Amino acid sequence: MSFIKKYNIYFPQYVIAENVLHPKGRKNNHSVAYVDEDLITLAYSASCEIGKEVDAVLFATTTPVFKERYHASYLADLLGLPEGITALDLGTSNRAGTDVLLLADTLICSGKHENVLVVASDISFPAIGKEARTPFGHGAVAMIVSKDEGLAEITNIATYSAAMAEEFTYKGEKVKYDARFARTAGFKNNMKKVFASLSPNGIDSLVINSAFVKLILGNLKKAGFDMEKQLAPDRFIPQCGYLGTAHGLLRLVNAIENVPGNSVLVDYNNGSNVITIKVIKKAAPKMSGLNHKTSIACYQDYLTLRKQGKFEGRGYESIEIFSSEMIQEREKNQLLRLKGFECKACGTIYYLKSARCNNCKGIEFREKQLSKTGTVYSLTCEHYFPSSFPPTNMIVIDLDGGGRITVQQTDDMYQNENTKISIGDKVKLVLRKMMENDKKPNYFWKCVKL
Amino acid sequence: MSKKRDIAIIGIGVTKFGELFDQSYDDLVRDAALQATKDAGIGMDEIQAGWLSTAFPEIGVFKGRSGMDLVEPLNLYGIPVTRVSNFCASGADAIRNAANALAAGECNVAMALGVEKLRDRSPQDSIVKMMVELSHPYFQKGFTAAGTFAIYAKRIMHEYGLTKEDIANVSVKNHYHGTLNEKAHHRKTCSLEQVLGSPMVADPLTVMDSCPTTDGAACVIMVRSEDVDMAKHNPINIDGIGLSVSTGWDLPFFDPKHDFLSFQATKDAAAMAYKQAGIEKPIDEIDLVEVHDCFSIVELLTYEDLGLCKPGEAKDMIRGKATQLGGEIPVNVSGGLLSCGHPVGATGVRMVVEVVNHLRGSAGDRQVLGAKKGVTHNIGGPGAIASVIVLNSEN
Repeated sequence: MSFIKKYNIYFPQYVIAENVLHPKGRKNNHSVAYVDEDLITLAYSASCEIGKEVDAVLFATTTPVFKERYHASYLADLLGLPEGITALDLGTSNRAGTDVLLLADTLICSGKHENVLVVASDISFPAIGKEARTPFGHGAVAMIVSKDEGLAEITNIATYSAAMAEEFTYKGEKVKYDARFARTAGFKNNMKKVFASLSPNGIDSLVINSAFVKLILGNLKKAGFDMEKQLAPDRFIPQCGYLGTAHGLLRLVNAIENVPGNSVLVDYNNGSNVITIKVIKKAAPKMSGLNHKTSIACYQDYLTLRKQGKFEGRGYESIEIFSSEMIQEREKNQLLRLKGFECKACGTIYYLKSARCNNCKGIEFREKQLSKTGTVYSLTCEHYFPSSFPPTNMIVIDLDGGGRITVQQTDDMYQNENTKISIGDKVKLVLRKMMENDKKPNYFWKCVKL
Repeated sequence: MSKKRDIAIIGIGVTKFGELFDQSYDDLVRDAALQATKDAGIGMDEIQAGWLSTAFPEIGVFKGRSGMDLVEPLNLYGIPVTRVSNFCASGADAIRNAANALAAGECNVAMALGVEKLRDRSPQDSIVKMMVELSHPYFQKGFTAAGTFAIYAKRIMHEYGLTKEDIANVSVKNHYHGTLNEKAHHRKTCSLEQVLGSPMVADPLTVMDSCPTTDGAACVIMVRSEDVDMAKHNPINIDGIGLSVSTGWDLPFFDPKHDFLSFQATKDAAAMAYKQAGIEKPIDEIDLVEVHDCFSIVELLTYEDLGLCKPGEAKDMIRGKATQLGGEIPVNVSGGLLSCGHPVGATGVRMVVEVVNHLRGSAGDRQVLGAKKGVTHNIGGPGAIASVIVLNSEN
């Protein structure tokens, strides 16, 4: 028996409406990662507040930034989890989000692990020019699956494989099988197996995570499901698009937040995972962030976020900077985990290490976890620093609880009331790619206005 | 150091400052050195030790990595020559080292020469590139040199009510002074509207608030005061030299005690130099000052840090035109870095050459009448290292 103890969702700040992508587009929004985000920073943002005391990290993505390197172990390191922790990646299919949930449940039920961080994170774009009818979206969902009681109990997990897939990628190209044949032999056939073991009784919400759900509405009715009350519509596709591996988990979170009782998630993609949960506690909603996003004004800005093209002083800029894995490894506690130094004599807190305190000349320091929020002390706006959306705002921040750090502002593609920072404003640190350095990953802190 | 060194400058030389596309690093060294030795009335072979100031060989033409690059163009082999590098205070530090060697008796005639050849590369390729690509992969990424000073401007505007116009008026004043200096890079006046209307570099600093990228060299010949031949030389005494490294390259941006209202390095260096020179009331005792106006805000901070006015009062000095030629204490009558440009290693030496000219009464149209005591100031690194030199025409 395992429980979903905590969860968190991260959506990027920006959305693009389909009618900006295409003149005939609908009003649907797609959640789009900023130029300095990748699926590692998305996963970090989703998990940094909840992924502290876990003994395993399971990472799902179909859009890896690394090959021959584990995203799970990279994330575990960023989170400051101990070296040697269980850290595994699953991918290939968008079902991987619930694959890792299934694996987490198995690890806990087997007694091998007690608290498992499950993260699904994806940034995928359709081919340029084909965005208008493709429900893409970017985001990450993190969950802590635990042996201890939490928000919801995972009462049953099953998986039903299928050899048939309606569409997939082969040698870098999208392959679509004959639609009617593939859906019959694939989705509909697989659903027969799923529903053979499901009865409408006792299910408060049935969540079918598949674009093909309309093909089986008749069958569901026949089987006795109340379509109005029991079948959960996918309200996220119009709001943020389809989040890939994170989408199944997103819909499960929606059930936890909105449906007391028992919910069943059928996560279909080349076979199904069927996850039954029983909600124990009402969770504080985390979905509200979806309603306050910034709309991307034009296709050129969207192309820049896709790292394409240069437009009149704006546009994607890949800059090779000096990057040192030695410095990153040696100083990661400080650089990536915000561990500062407190003078034992006078209590002054520093982000940079020094032999002597600059205030009292004391020589003894203790490690101090710095806060991610603070107040702007001074700032400037750099017009000649190369970036995709100049100018670059540099912000000197006095962190709450002590310590000062100077970082770039981010999510500031548009300079307006929501992004304009002044001395005295409250800001929050977020982990992003330092620069668009295509040679080596280079994550560091930036800030956003609170 | 609190002791006066009793050193005199007997020869000065300075090249034209500008985009000297037809001159090489070596040409600039030769030009400045030959002017200085000629001015001192000595032959090159009388130089017994040399200090070469070039701040950034790697963003220039990779010249100035060692004293070798002074010796080679001058055929000055067989003597000790050291390259000095201390960011924007490099030139002043070359003079300090020469003064120390003279005081210690290591040599009797010393040359301090500053040179920087930045315009064998495109400007965007030099200092911005250094900030983007070469320094620590995480700290200060996003800053250009302008931004590291703009951050002071924003805080001072917030604290003291300084305005963008006050900052821009420094540029207006120094560009006017530059029209009077035949060696300056830019010799055009500009209006307040032009400064404020020029493209923004780092808010609130515009292009016209920023010094240009410039080539140039300057040289001084120094001896102990006791060795001055009054029949032959027109000496100017070095009454005080202060140099202080008072914070680090990264520290100001991560130090909760750093207030971004002043440069502690300038205060420390000035205290040293003033003590050696016996200066107690700078505003009353000093006749002219050359300060490091790499960006116009720096000149305003420096009024306060050099003790020419109280904290927060720099705006009153610029508004009252106290620092204009003819004012109470003219500042940057050479045109400053804003007009002359900033060949980094050469700047500190150029300022000393400028003040020597005024104290000799040979500064032409921009002569500060009756000047007897002058001060030079450099700050760099950014805001970490400062030098202050007090020069005096009277014994």
